[in-house]
Amino acid sequence: MSENKTAFVLKDICKNFGNVTAVKNFRLDVKDGEFISLLGPSGCGKTTLLRIVAGFEIPDSGEVLLDGKSILQLPPFKRPMNMVFQRYALFPHMTVYENIAFSQFLKKKPKEETQEKVKKMLSLVQLEGFEQRKPDQLSGGQCQRIALARALINEPRVLLLDEPLGALDLKIRKQMQIELKNIQEKLKITFIYVTHDQEEALVMSDRIVLMKLGEIMQVDTPKRIYNHPNSRFAATFIGESNVLEGEVAQIHEDYLVTNVDGLQFFAQRTAEVKAGDKIFLAIRLEKVNRIDKKTKKSFDNQFQGKIEDVVFFGSSVKYYVRISENIIMISEETIVEEESDQGVEEKNIGDTVAIGFAKKDVNVFLE
Amino acid sequence: MKKVKKHIILLTPLFTYFTFFFFAPMFVLFVYSFWLKTSTGLVPTFTLHNYLYIFSNKLYPITILRSIRIGFITAIICVIISYPVAYSLTFKYKKLQDVVLYLILISLFSSYLVRVYAWKTILGSNGIINQILRYIGLIEEPLTFLLFSPTAIIITLVFILTPFTILPIFSSLQNISADLIEAANDLGANKLKTFYRVTLPLSMPGVITGFIFSFTISTGDYVTPQLVGGTEGLMIGRIVQDQFGMTYNWPFGSALAYFMIFLLIVLINCFIWITAILKLKRKF
Repeated sequence: MSENKTAFVLKDICKNFGNVTAVKNFRLDVKDGEFISLLGPSGCGKTTLLRIVAGFEIPDSGEVLLDGKSILQLPPFKRPMNMVFQRYALFPHMTVYENIAFSQFLKKKPKEETQEKVKKMLSLVQLEGFEQRKPDQLSGGQCQRIALARALINEPRVLLLDEPLGALDLKIRKQMQIELKNIQEKLKITFIYVTHDQEEALVMSDRIVLMKLGEIMQVDTPKRIYNHPNSRFAATFIGESNVLEGEVAQIHEDYLVTNVDGLQFFAQRTAEVKAGDKIFLAIRLEKVNRIDKKTKKSFDNQFQGKIEDVVFFGSSVKYYVRISENIIMISEETIVEEESDQGVEEKNIGDTVAIGFAKKDVNVFLE
Repeated sequence: MKKVKKHIILLTPLFTYFTFFFFAPMFVLFVYSFWLKTSTGLVPTFTLHNYLYIFSNKLYPITILRSIRIGFITAIICVIISYPVAYSLTFKYKKLQDVVLYLILISLFSSYLVRVYAWKTILGSNGIINQILRYIGLIEEPLTFLLFSPTAIIITLVFILTPFTILPIFSSLQNISADLIEAANDLGANKLKTFYRVTLPLSMPGVITGFIFSFTISTGDYVTPQLVGGTEGLMIGRIVQDQFGMTYNWPFGSALAYFMIFLLIVLINCFIWITAILKLKRKF
């Protein structure tokens, strides 16, 4: 990424629809060339926010600053941003060429220049030679690529993407995720990407903005947000976690001792907590290890338990281990090649097993 | 195989109905149009005399042209006044949609004849328009061109036919997703350009359907001209009717009817063809 100067700033944006709060006090600085994902369940206000940036909605209060200047007064067609819609929104009465060239035509650019540019865009999205097709002759994935080309030909400062892969099937979606990321890195355009798919956000983003009910829950890099979620919501919405309820017993300099259903858990000290506080603990499934006799690793937290269930997921296996009367912890193990034949074949339901995990992998939050 | 048969069973009732009451009579008329009327009666033969006879007397071509002109003007006015209604119902006053569409349908509840008579009273020399104008003092003598003129026919037909143009335009606008309009906006088109480049082309099927409805119905109408058209407003439907009713020249009436059908098909195809060419010309 080039110089990380701020491209645009969202300042205390609020938007209500009647009595429903769609966006509340939203503030975010977006750097030039950054890939930002707005992630959240449906109804969390992420699309509304994108539409505010695009100019289709006007916020009740707040500012949208691009290079320090407010763009709120500008109608959508004067903003240096373009949008990719979930349902492609290709003009059905125009060919692929006309769709992509539409904005250039409106800007009265010379024909040769436009033709050249359309060609470049089509090669960028790997659909060379599709100029004369009509949108109804394209597959969903192809439509979305054309929509992307149509938005990018305008060389927008910011590209807004509203769940652009939402209507595609899984395989094409995964492929498009990589392609989108590559295109973004190549063009160094700021992308604001709205999605409810946490995996999509993790794969593509430089930073993820996690939202819930119109408010920001956490803004961080995918890695940090995954490893150090700051709330129970973040821990469960992004990836899967074992979530346990407990109480703080002791506070040490860099770790906590907590009490969960009579068991002692060592956890990393993150949240501001006092002894006696009710807390939630979240541990990623894959951080919970099964300890067998061969691996003589030891962990900060170790428990004996009974395997209640083993579920096979292709590349991984989940073990449901009951470590106390009320606690079942899930351990997810990637199947290593040599093991893969036995992995599930081992009939270990009912077996006693030891599980362990490091205290740095135990995230604690108040709620 | 079985599937195909089931399909046909469902089509049979309407097909039978149309065969007996539309295709068969139309075929009979078509055959008549090649017969001859003599003083002794109808002679079954094959002659183009009836078709050529249309051009023997200036009255017929003039009346045909007048009918087409009145039909064309009516259809254009219908489309022009219907489009804004359908557009605003679709994009601006969504909540009023049901109410307004219901009101439009209600206007179809009353009989066509009753509505034509109503216009006759409204437009007449003692009608409400002339009374008001005289009361205000704008005129001293009643405006006579209001009634018994092509203008009166157009006014009446526009009133009767607007539902037939609003509905198809409305339904084709309904199919335009808001995304497309936003996308055009986003790509740099202001409201006017969005309308001209996206909304209008996408609603053209409805406009064409509405135009064809109102054009064919008004060109062939023969009740309205008789009631409000006067002598200046003689239209071809009346002449065809007279061939069957008054002069008993069925062959000529049939020929006239078939000539009109042929002419309207040609004109409608020209119209579709012109819009298709305009569409192609828009390439950029």
